[in-house]
Amino acid sequence: MTDADTVTDADTPSARVALEGLGKRYGDVVALDDLTLTVEPGELVVLVGPSGSGKSTALRILAGLEEATSGRVLVAGRDVTRVAPHRRDVAMVFQDYALYPHLTARDNLAFGPRVRREPAAAVTARVERVAVQLGLDGLLDRYPDQLSGGQQQRVALARAMVREPAVFLMDEPLSNLDAQLRLAARAEIVELHRRLGTTTVYVTHDQAEAMTMGDRVAVLADGRLQQVGPPQAVYDAPANRFVAGFIGSPPMNLVAGGGALGGEPGTVVGVRPEDLHPDPTGAVALTVTVVEALGSETVLAGHSGDGSRLTVRTGPRSPCRPGDVVRLAVDSARRHRFDAATGRRLP
Amino acid sequence: MRSGPLARHVVPLLAAIVFVLPLWFMVAGSLRPVGLPPPRGVELLPPAPNLDSYARLPQLIPLFVYLRNSALVVALAVPLTVLVASWAGFGIRLLPPPRRRAAVVASLVVMMVPVTAVWATRFEVFRLAGALDSLVPLVAPALAATTPFYVLIYAWSFGGVSDGQLGAARLEGASTWRLWRAVALPQVKPATLAVAVLAFTFHWANFIDALLYLRRQELYTLPLGMRFLQLLNPTDWPLLMAGAVVVTLPSVAVFLLAQRLFLDDPLRGLRGNAA
Amino acid sequence: MTATTRSAVRFLAPYAVGTLLLVAVPALLTVGYAFTDHTGLSTPRFNGLANLRRLAGDPFFRASLRASMVHVAMAVPLRLLAASGLGLLLAAPRRGGRWYRAAVYLPTVIPDIALALLFLWVLNPLYGPLNQLLGAVGLPQPTWLATTWGARVGVVLMLLFPIGEAFLVVLATRRQVNARLYEAAALDGCSPFGQLRRITLPLLAPVLVLLAVRDLVLTLQVNFVPAYILTDGGPGNATLYLPLYIYDQAFEFLGFGYAATITVVLLAVTVAFIGLQLALVRRWRVLR
Repeated sequence: MTDADTVTDADTPSARVALEGLGKRYGDVVALDDLTLTVEPGELVVLVGPSGSGKSTALRILAGLEEATSGRVLVAGRDVTRVAPHRRDVAMVFQDYALYPHLTARDNLAFGPRVRREPAAAVTARVERVAVQLGLDGLLDRYPDQLSGGQQQRVALARAMVREPAVFLMDEPLSNLDAQLRLAARAEIVELHRRLGTTTVYVTHDQAEAMTMGDRVAVLADGRLQQVGPPQAVYDAPANRFVAGFIGSPPMNLVAGGGALGGEPGTVVGVRPEDLHPDPTGAVALTVTVVEALGSETVLAGHSGDGSRLTVRTGPRSPCRPGDVVRLAVDSARRHRFDAATGRRLP
Repeated sequence: MRSGPLARHVVPLLAAIVFVLPLWFMVAGSLRPVGLPPPRGVELLPPAPNLDSYARLPQLIPLFVYLRNSALVVALAVPLTVLVASWAGFGIRLLPPPRRRAAVVASLVVMMVPVTAVWATRFEVFRLAGALDSLVPLVAPALAATTPFYVLIYAWSFGGVSDGQLGAARLEGASTWRLWRAVALPQVKPATLAVAVLAFTFHWANFIDALLYLRRQELYTLPLGMRFLQLLNPTDWPLLMAGAVVVTLPSVAVFLLAQRLFLDDPLRGLRGNAA
Repeated sequence: MTATTRSAVRFLAPYAVGTLLLVAVPALLTVGYAFTDHTGLSTPRFNGLANLRRLAGDPFFRASLRASMVHVAMAVPLRLLAASGLGLLLAAPRRGGRWYRAAVYLPTVIPDIALALLFLWVLNPLYGPLNQLLGAVGLPQPTWLATTWGARVGVVLMLLFPIGEAFLVVLATRRQVNARLYEAAALDGCSPFGQLRRITLPLLAPVLVLLAVRDLVLTLQVNFVPAYILTDGGPGNATLYLPLYIYDQAFEFLGFGYAATITVVLLAVTVAFIGLQLALVRRWRVLR
């Protein structure tokens, strides 16, 4: 592999990424177990899961920062499992941005090209262009500690863009921003992805980020891939109890079969909070304990007669007060059933 | 990142050997029988090693008097140093940030004052205080925390005790004295260990102050006693090395207690529970 | 002043008083004595610049100044190089890392007097282990302390071992650097040497400068014990470092005033060196 090859790779607008049976162990701890996942060229796939689910490990193996115990990584059809990180034609945005504190924003952007000894004039032009694209043109001479969190995040993004890689890797790039900035930055990244069309693998623990950003989401837990698919498909038909509880906020109500939500013993029945409707003839009696008025909607929490805890999403300005008993009807078409023992979705 | 066994273990091992070698030669030299001709080639261990030189030490010099004086000095100076340094470090922690920085800078400046600038004039301070020809001048540096470095160690370590904790304790009605004793100090035990060990090695080894301010033989500490030994027997190498081992051994023993400082992250290690 | 600041001051009081009595007042007195004929016994009398004039014509002082300069020029770069090289080498976590680090620190806890006596033995041309080692690998075996440069190098050699403080500071600072920076650099194709040059050294620069300044101050002083024990300033004043000459003047010849003048010169030399270092630092833009 020579540098010249890498440059030609960079001209490919984007690449297919394939993870084949990736496994990673730290001693006795299995961090990643047989992960197989293909990311199509130009696609944005979100790896989502709670901490310790293996999502960051998968990304770091893809970047070449860690070695897999087993399995292969392919970028644009090339097996890069044993290839050094910088020869994989990927760029990464880190959770804490990893900006070089001793360099200005400009020098941060130019760091990679300079290391690769690209011609100075071309580097300058590219840095300027990317900076303009991200609205950083006035900030290039500042040091990282002179930038706000949002600006630092954009510099980190810009640094990855200057690389013009075949694949972007993003490791929780928004988790250090406050809530409002995060929403804006989310939209910005999606927009950027649409414009550049570069294959992107995005890691987050935030299911809302996964739902709104991903062309597809891949849900991980305990080092295993639980489900992969378009966000709405995953939301509508979670493959197992874990995904059902993890995707969606407030989470899906899950009650043992034969209880408040019906169903037979040996199963777990799940109903999303928005699929429970107040209805005087409803089968479920909910004793309300908490009323959360969010403005655009109201979330009621309480328990049914048999003690199951339920959450209901209703319209704004709900008249309910804690202590009220509300009768609820279940949208039976939207009832999910899971095997109580394996957790798997039942037809 | 990947790195070969060369960088991981071989080079560090070689460095470690180079730095242990002096101590090895000291011990090996002390075991050499007296009057042996110069060795030919590298002699890692002398032929027929014995402990005779150690037995001769107390016969030639009042070794136990020196030992007692040195022990007395460290027994007073080390606790005093720990106390003054931890108070000062906590004081710096309590200061508002701009003054905190000023106190740190002032301490750094004091660290830059050459010791020679205070040799003769401290002599006069001690004479005025009537403390000449006693062990007081050897303990006195502890009043100034021995060196500002120890204060900075504490200041850094107490930096790990959050404002929240101090505020919470104060809401419970704790005095600042109690904050120091019951909240801050217990969280930075590794720093206390480090300062105590460093102070021990300093005061145990303090040769210059003993040379400058002690006159009577009965007050000599071990380091000055070794100088006396050297003047008595300038070429009796096994004897001198035995003396050197006797001075060195307590420092090395105490140092081994402070291994924690050499864990992967010494700065974090110092803070102990106060992460 | 808030109540918290007041109690802060109370905690700082013993340290402040101790430093005032044992460092500040003596140091200022020294500056004052530099312009007197103080002997340590008499009442000091102001004698203007007489001490400075004497200094100008004192061949021992010139020899002493030269010895100190030569010593600093050799010892500071070497000590710093050793301390930072070892600090960076041993910063990475590895099995048994603690023992490697402890071994490097070990000579630092050996009392000066013991280390000096040891080097008297190590550097002994006939019995000493150093010449045995040199002989074993076929190198020349100098007579060390008997020659001008042998003595100077011998003292530097001894002072290359107690470098634990700087070693630990470099190691701890290196550990503070965010590991992600190295990963980001690796993704950009930065070699380990490039990472050292482009990330580690620039980030450690402020600490290295501080250590250089501190080691300079220290090195101008810590050569007292080796010079006193190993060479007594010889041969031919080759190792009559300033602290040794100051000691001789103050305590052997009862020239407190004159010794104070030399001390002030030492102080000036120290400040000049620090200024020079900081100027170079600014020139090279290692600090911003």
